[in-house]
Amino acid sequence: MVIPFIVFSLIGLSLFYLQNLALFPYIHLRLLSLLVFYISLRPSFSLAFSLALFLGLLQDSYALSPLGLHISGALALVAAGRFCRRRFLINSAGSQILASLGALAVQEAGVRLIMLLVGYRHFLLGTLTGMRGLEILFTALLAPLMFSLLRAVEHGLKRRGWRLAGTAGSH
Amino acid sequence: MPLSARPKTRFRIPVIIGATVVLVLSLLSLSLKNSVILRKVEGVVVSFTAPGMDALSAVSDSLKQVWFGYFYLVGVQKENERLRQRLEEAVQREARYQEALLALQRLEALLELKRRLALPVTGARVIAYDPSLWSRAAIIDQGSSNGVETGQAVVAPAGIVGRIVETYPQYAKVMLIVDRNSGADAMIQRSRVRGILQGRGGNRCSLGYVPKNADVQVGDLVVASGLGGIYPQGLVFGKVTAADKKADGIFQEVEVNPTVDLSSLEEVLVVKTAKITFSP
Repeated sequence: MVIPFIVFSLIGLSLFYLQNLALFPYIHLRLLSLLVFYISLRPSFSLAFSLALFLGLLQDSYALSPLGLHISGALALVAAGRFCRRRFLINSAGSQILASLGALAVQEAGVRLIMLLVGYRHFLLGTLTGMRGLEILFTALLAPLMFSLLRAVEHGLKRRGWRLAGTAGSH
Repeated sequence: MPLSARPKTRFRIPVIIGATVVLVLSLLSLSLKNSVILRKVEGVVVSFTAPGMDALSAVSDSLKQVWFGYFYLVGVQKENERLRQRLEEAVQREARYQEALLALQRLEALLELKRRLALPVTGARVIAYDPSLWSRAAIIDQGSSNGVETGQAVVAPAGIVGRIVETYPQYAKVMLIVDRNSGADAMIQRSRVRGILQGRGGNRCSLGYVPKNADVQVGDLVVASGLGGIYPQGLVFGKVTAADKKADGIFQEVEVNPTVDLSSLEEVLVVKTAKITFSP
């Protein structure tokens, strides 16, 4: 699991750099969330969990929000991914978009709930809600492209003998 | 399935969920209590990842120069090979000169601000932002080893940027004035009406606690009052873009637009006088 973890962490770090250097402040997309959600759909729970912790910690370190907020969001995505992978067949582009939309909505709801619990009430009905909605929608629309890129990375890993744990049951 | 494996499987999911909830709540609780360990963890993550951002930023700047100075213009002139070559060289040179000129102008403005402030300051470069919509923060390339401390003000030639909220050995985290947790004592320059400048997220601020009968007009400059000891008196926060006296309650709603473009900061100054430590 170590090599896939390192590879996907580096991909996450690259996506974070891309967001920071190229997309910010004009384009808001949750590319790291898509990465975590994709890995959560794969059989290895420990990889998804550790990746969610690492990428959540990375985002928390650059933000002013309490440390743990982005980690919770990433773990909500893992939960959504584990829920989806046993119940739905997420193969077509449409199903990937819908599943991502649902997972991102769960993440948003989870993060807002935690913000409410820790006393950041002004975030609950903030004026940026519409922008967040668009961010989620456009991120979900990118899911098929992102998933196919990540699948290519996964195949590359498999060819080198580094399997994600328990890939026999992957869809 | 062997009988011995059944309880393990049955309790696996509840145990994982329980452990995760405990982990998240512990992290949040420690974070809200300003845990030193968590700050150190954050510091380690920033110290390990920010140099990559710094290097990539430099590479992307060079690539941009090459792109705008060379590739983009290659297809424009094709009729004369020699002239084109000279043109490309000239364009490349000009792009470099333009970049140097812009950098010079920015640094001159910073130097002018440094003279105007007459306070001990240190120059810093903004190397990263928090790309999420949850907070407005930036990372600068000066940290505790350069004498940067929490609570110090960060300014740019056009006005106030924010204040230091976290320091690491080589880097520091700046809370921008538009962050929802940012608050500062401010006043309208023209009428000397005072209020509290609060961040509203995105790229907006508002001046709170301004009575309805106070004289506030669109276009008024909002400056630091000097109270609170963080921001030097007279430095500009922004301009009033709306003043609604028909709002509910006893105060008017005053919307302020920062004079600094907080999404494309490059060089800033850290004012090294504040002694107040930040405690969220």
